[in-house]
Amino acid sequence: MTIRHRWILALTLCTGIASWTAWPVPAVTAQPLPGPGSGQVQQAPAAPAVPESDSAAPEIQRPSMPAPLPPPTPGSAETPFSPYVPWPTSKLRVRVMDGRTQQPLQGAEVVLIETEQRATTGPDGYTQWMDAPIIRNPRYRPLVAELHGQLGVIAYKNGYRDSIHLGIRMHEGVPSETTVWMYKLGPGDTRVEPVLYQVPYHHVWLVELADRFRSKTQPGEGPERP
Amino acid sequence: MNKFILGGLSALVFLGFTALHAPEARAEHTVDNTPLPSTIRVAIRSENPSGESDPRGRIVWVQTVPFEEYCQDVLPNEWVPSWHVEALKAGAMAVKMFAWYHHLHPVTIDGFTFDVDNTVNFQSFRYWSRQPETNAAVQAVRNAAYVKPNGEIIELNYRAGYRNSPNWQYRNAQKMAQWGSQYWAERGRNWVQILQFYYMDRTLRWIR
Repeated sequence: MTIRHRWILALTLCTGIASWTAWPVPAVTAQPLPGPGSGQVQQAPAAPAVPESDSAAPEIQRPSMPAPLPPPTPGSAETPFSPYVPWPTSKLRVRVMDGRTQQPLQGAEVVLIETEQRATTGPDGYTQWMDAPIIRNPRYRPLVAELHGQLGVIAYKNGYRDSIHLGIRMHEGVPSETTVWMYKLGPGDTRVEPVLYQVPYHHVWLVELADRFRSKTQPGEGPERP
Repeated sequence: MNKFILGGLSALVFLGFTALHAPEARAEHTVDNTPLPSTIRVAIRSENPSGESDPRGRIVWVQTVPFEEYCQDVLPNEWVPSWHVEALKAGAMAVKMFAWYHHLHPVTIDGFTFDVDNTVNFQSFRYWSRQPETNAAVQAVRNAAYVKPNGEIIELNYRAGYRNSPNWQYRNAQKMAQWGSQYWAERGRNWVQILQFYYMDRTLRWIR
């Protein structure tokens, strides 16, 4: 290494040290670290400090507020989900029947799980018509709008097993009915637990959902040939 | 003279032969000689873990259901009760004619003889799932049948099809698209026009 090369190396090192020391070092603020059992809540990051003299400081670009959602159209399946918009409602009545005798059950108490509404069945096994919400699963709304909302009810009657009935299909502007089957307790029933019945999704929607995400490399049975 | 006799005999034999082997002139089951069934035998298949009857599940039992109640308990599971009323009527006709045809052509599987099962092998059926809107559609087409021009009862088949589409490909296949029925109903066609679009060379007949 010649003397000229040594001078160039020394100059480069000095320049590097000077630029490193001149670089603004952000102040390290003590932030509580969330961890298991720490018992502390993670804080939101503090807003950037605004200088006192606004005239000298450049204007800070604040994030713009999100635009308000357009007014929802009641009954539209394409309406974006918002927890602050009341659910549309439709009429629903429940028919309770004895699962073994196939006869309507009078005096059964039916509770609509989502709203805690209660109704009692009459001599024909039907409750009165009630306003019930149409609740679609928000997970699927941006993808493929469900064809119907879903609700759940529980039916109680002394001497019978409780019946939980989930997935009742609800449609906008259309009254809906559902049938709950109850089973009488007998001497052999030692462990008495509720009976569950799940109404399946409408299969027309399932066909649409599967087609929505199908890739060309996985055609399954191939394009539907009618 | 003998030639004439021989010629005449040959003509008679030929006529007899053609009469025997002529295309089937009479229809087996027509709306004129076949009453609407009063009941239908539905094979109930076992359910999969999600609670839906499995098209490949074993047959648990065969349930005899009043025919009209069967149509009422199929329509809301095949069409959507919130769809246009004309689409529901077209669907009610397809459901009825499909069931009527299979009532006339029962099958035996695993020792069970039945007309239809409760899955998409035939038509999706859930007991007591009927809805007011679909019941009205079943009632509206109660006295009608959609058959061949000679009155022969045929299977009106259908598939889901695609949303917001006229589903022309189903028309060429003589199957109704369920989404297509809704598409045309929303554009002002009535249930007969929807049936005419998907099932060609068929006619509407009134039954007692």
